[in-house]
Amino acid sequence: MANLLWLQGGACSGNTMSFLNAEEPSACDLVTDFGINVLWHPSLGLELGDNLKKLLNALTSGQMPLDIFVFEGTVVNAPNGTGEWNRFAGRAMRDWVSDLCKVANFVVAVGDCATWGGIPATAPNPSESQGLQFLKRDQGGFLGKDYKSKAGLPVINIPGCPAHPDWITQIVVAVATGRAGDLTLDEFQRPKTFFTSFTQTGCTRNMHFAYKVSATEFGQRKGCLFYDLGCRGPMTHSPCNRVLWNRQSSKTRAGMPCMGCTEPEFPFFDLAPGTVFKTQTVMGVPKDMPSGVDKTGYIKLTAAAKAASPRWAEEDIFVV
Amino acid sequence: MSAAVQTLDISPVGRVEGDLDVRVDIQNGVVVNAWTQAELFRGFEVILRDKDPQAGLVVTPRACGICGASHLTCAAWALDTAWKAEVPRNAILARNLGQIVESLQSLPRHHYGLFMIDYTHKNYSHSKYYEEAVKRWSPFTGTNYELGVTISGRPVEIYALLGGQWPHSSYMVPGGVMCAPTLTDVTRAWSILEHFRRNWMEPVWLGCSFERYEQIQSYDDFMAWLDERPEHANSDLGMFWRMSLDVGVDKYGQGHGKYVSWGYLPHEDKYNRPTIEGRNSAVLMKSGVYDGASDTHKLMDQVYTREDLRHAWYDEPGGMHPFERVTKPVGKNPVDYDNKYSWSVAVRHDQNGRLEAGPLARQLIAGGTHGESWQHFDPLVLDMYKKLGGASVMLRHFARMHEGVKLYRQAEHALREFRLNDPWYVKPTEKDGKGWGATEAIRGALCHWIEVQGGKIKNYQIIAPTTWNVGPRSDGGELGPIEQALIGTPIADMNDPVEVGHVCRSYDSCLVCTVHAHDANTGEELARFRTA
Repeated sequence: MANLLWLQGGACSGNTMSFLNAEEPSACDLVTDFGINVLWHPSLGLELGDNLKKLLNALTSGQMPLDIFVFEGTVVNAPNGTGEWNRFAGRAMRDWVSDLCKVANFVVAVGDCATWGGIPATAPNPSESQGLQFLKRDQGGFLGKDYKSKAGLPVINIPGCPAHPDWITQIVVAVATGRAGDLTLDEFQRPKTFFTSFTQTGCTRNMHFAYKVSATEFGQRKGCLFYDLGCRGPMTHSPCNRVLWNRQSSKTRAGMPCMGCTEPEFPFFDLAPGTVFKTQTVMGVPKDMPSGVDKTGYIKLTAAAKAASPRWAEEDIFVV
Repeated sequence: MSAAVQTLDISPVGRVEGDLDVRVDIQNGVVVNAWTQAELFRGFEVILRDKDPQAGLVVTPRACGICGASHLTCAAWALDTAWKAEVPRNAILARNLGQIVESLQSLPRHHYGLFMIDYTHKNYSHSKYYEEAVKRWSPFTGTNYELGVTISGRPVEIYALLGGQWPHSSYMVPGGVMCAPTLTDVTRAWSILEHFRRNWMEPVWLGCSFERYEQIQSYDDFMAWLDERPEHANSDLGMFWRMSLDVGVDKYGQGHGKYVSWGYLPHEDKYNRPTIEGRNSAVLMKSGVYDGASDTHKLMDQVYTREDLRHAWYDEPGGMHPFERVTKPVGKNPVDYDNKYSWSVAVRHDQNGRLEAGPLARQLIAGGTHGESWQHFDPLVLDMYKKLGGASVMLRHFARMHEGVKLYRQAEHALREFRLNDPWYVKPTEKDGKGWGATEAIRGALCHWIEVQGGKIKNYQIIAPTTWNVGPRSDGGELGPIEQALIGTPIADMNDPVEVGHVCRSYDSCLVCTVHAHDANTGEELARFRTA
């Protein structure tokens, strides 16, 4: 039986909503089949007021073991490092987080806000938000770069805005069933199992990417979204086109450019004028190249691709 | 001899989205005064200011992970009106469908996950329905809890067909939508809807067919339906109704008796050239203000929106329209119940004062004969309201669940009306201007105001349903809707005031949208956009 506590800081509940979409296993399966004891969750917990405070105090004092601490949302530090702008159960949430991370065997940051700071930490970051162990690309965050949970691991980061339910449930089950040793983490403390391949891996528009055939506007039944519409699929690590969303699709399959939400910089370019749904270019060449490709290689590749481009690639293909 | 007043601070209330603290004064076991406090701030206004005009399409869905489609709907329509975009018929249907399936998702998820689990509370162990309630509605292990929470993910699979994923797609854009669904998508969507209907809505929730349920037009019809067959009485709806009466949640949670809705679901052929002024006569579900005391209906217009700030953590005069506000937040935010005690402002109607938003408001307004003759009309909840002597926790929750069948029918309409080879998007010209977009999120009236100047956002403002509901006292001292609804609530156990939870959860409060903000670092005036 693994005790799990889930709290939210500067959050929108999007990761909770995503988690509730889980099917294999479902949120209820986690409890009934995998022996996870959900002590409390902001959307699902029974207790309120003083009864919840008693539970929290039992955990922070060590009276009750805390196996997995899941945190969703940013750590809010405003105003001036006090955290008073996000009060929970009578005190600043950041103080609860600090105490709970001292006693937790494993700490899991779910979603961009808890991992890197996400949307709330977008400049000028008015709420003085941080991720648990990162702020954007910088390691450290709220807990500091040397933080280790009681089991000796840093914060396990499950990014995404929101994180996919499978990413959440599979990691939680791995930890709860004693398979945390199988979790190799990348440099951003993301489980490699989910964040090694690219969003583009498995994208239905790959052929159009290969022949440099662009979707020039929304609502078209052909074309790659990378060249004009700002898609970040080729340089974003996620399995969105391998482990589909809501059992059906992915943004790029539905005609929406990937926004790179599993990467620390999301939202990219701080949403400056002219950067939303538009590929940023210099002299006609994209500013951000597909991962690992240099400018010379890119120019050669696209010239060859265009030269080889078959006529069918310009016709509607997504007609089924 | 009057009993002493005991004060109870409940922090947090829980199972409302975000951090809600409630203070109540209790005398003779009954709440005599109440204060609701929003306790989280994130600061989206600062983030959106000076950003790309379309940044709202990315940022505002993240105001609320539950109502993301609703925020996206508002953000898209606000830009459409600012840019004077053309929105093709297919795109209106595809936006409406996204809004509808998000709301359908929320019905079982809120009902089982957030609301019904309180019926398993030990306070109700004396009820003759208690044993059955525990069997059905216990968190995680209840038979219908597990079914309901799991099946709640199905409707938003349709959202994923349109936008790639739920939550947090941005597939609605000025000029239409990004997707171009095919026959395969439509067929899948039909089968998902059917699954939801055949596995939960009809057998578990209603205990009858949609067609039988749709015959219910009055309170008497409903009571006759309840007694007609054991399947009706023993359905989750039948059980909810009977147990609610048995444990008395039909007796409290009344509120002000004044209601607001922006209306929603623009007609696919009537809002292709959207304007702020033209919206009321273009939406299927009509807007309105309903005043229970005088039993009068009228249309709602955004020009009547006012925000009071005397009891919110801002330092400026109240009573301004959102377009006019210049937010000057206070630095520190200590709680002072005589002065300032919440991040939420007090929203009011310039003529009618504080108004309740939500499904109950929508359904009371649906019973009015105001608006256009072709707009949706449904007399049931208004009739119940009159026969039962006004609102209550029970009726508020019933109204929410009652919308399911109607939303389902509108989803069917969208799927039937898609013309697959017609346009889904008409590229608009970006320009400066003011825009306004509105919808009805499952929990009530939601709208966005935007001002674009010099090719970037000058001002972006949101008023969310919970801002209407959870706000503190107005400048004139009128209580917020939930504050008012808490008065008269009986508290059985001071140490575990589940009844306060009932009232708050009957509004399905969402505090995450309800918080205003400023730049704590500089203290400068920033919040021309506020997340509420």
